[in-house]
Amino acid sequence: MYAFLAPKTLEDARGFLESRPNLKLLAGGTDLIIGLREGLVTPDAVMDVKQIPALTQIRQTEDVLEIGAAVTVDEMLRSGYLSGPYHALYEAGEELANILLRNRATLAGNICNASPGGDMLPACLVLDAWVETIRPDGGRRIPLREFFMGPKRHVLASDEMVVKTVFPRAAGKSAYRKKKRIRGHDLAQVGVAGLLGADGALTLAFGACGPTPICLDVFDTNTQSRAEILDAAMNGIAPIGDVRASKEHRQEMARYLTEAVLDAIEEVRV
Amino acid sequence: MKAIQLTVNGGAYKVFCPEDITLLTLLREHLHLTGTKEGCAAGECGACTVIYNGKPINACMVLAMEADGAVIETIEGEAKDGVLSPLQQAFIDCHALQCGFCTPGMIMSARALLDENPTPTRDEIVHAMEGNLCRCTGYEPIIRAIEQIAGGAQ
Repeated sequence: MYAFLAPKTLEDARGFLESRPNLKLLAGGTDLIIGLREGLVTPDAVMDVKQIPALTQIRQTEDVLEIGAAVTVDEMLRSGYLSGPYHALYEAGEELANILLRNRATLAGNICNASPGGDMLPACLVLDAWVETIRPDGGRRIPLREFFMGPKRHVLASDEMVVKTVFPRAAGKSAYRKKKRIRGHDLAQVGVAGLLGADGALTLAFGACGPTPICLDVFDTNTQSRAEILDAAMNGIAPIGDVRASKEHRQEMARYLTEAVLDAIEEVRV
Repeated sequence: MKAIQLTVNGGAYKVFCPEDITLLTLLREHLHLTGTKEGCAAGECGACTVIYNGKPINACMVLAMEADGAVIETIEGEAKDGVLSPLQQAFIDCHALQCGFCTPGMIMSARALLDENPTPTRDEIVHAMEGNLCRCTGYEPIIRAIEQIAGGAQ
């Protein structure tokens, strides 16, 4: 039995983070509620963050695109902001489960669940996103490239909460490709995102190809051939075999999907 | 135990219930609206689909406490005055159900789609129904039933 908390302000949320050491945060709940049901997590309190107005905002300024921690994946997809360099986020969101879950799941939840195969994570990494957090005594900014520690493990403290994910202004084109068994239902066997900047710099990121999502930058498409880029990228990942796919299948698929991402973002450059 | 208020199928409810139950349990065991089914209870099968503040969701993936103030539509709201809705009738006419366990969820996903887009294409129907599993029909009759409504009057 846990208490249900639904603060309406960040200050109230801070208060609960401080006073409730065994607290679980609830955004979309698509992972947490399964854990609660199966007894994998046994918090004293569950804190719903969706009543805090600041967390429900999507905002684009000259410099950044900000997505509040309570914004659902479907709201992101409908926002109109996920084009151009942010298109990989759109493609990843479209690939995330099905509409029933996209109406609940959030970007911040996908990040904080820290699954190596989380669909939104490779796109966030190539776009060099960071999260902003609050704690009882302040808050901080954490680049996602320094966020993931291992399967389902991240650097957040137990009294820390993500309030938004921030994407710096980007230029160029991005794409995400995913291999799964059943559309609408399966987690990624492999997911690959790429961002090609206007200057020819290429960043690639891989989901389900190591203990954390892996980001490899920066390739130079002006001086490196596609074969060189592919070989270097495949040397940078370390997939394992598990219930979803064998190691060999993941290696093949990572190469194939990387080519598909390059096809999508390179256009006439190929 | 905590009191919450919500609107279900147009009716206002005030419920006193435990803080650690899901919306699905609230609907089935506290409001006795058992048309919404529990399949996997893990957000996989869509048998518990309801329309929650205008959006289709899995009721097993929402805590009852979150639904304080929510407006919810369930399968019990589909027929009016004992008469099946055209969507329900289309499911029967097209043989879109056999055991019937997935059908309330299928109807609610289709209802959410048609409320937003009264004339969906076949691709849009397939996309909207991705979260609902059926082990009997092979899906084709379900898609045909929704196409029949999408092509005609609701």
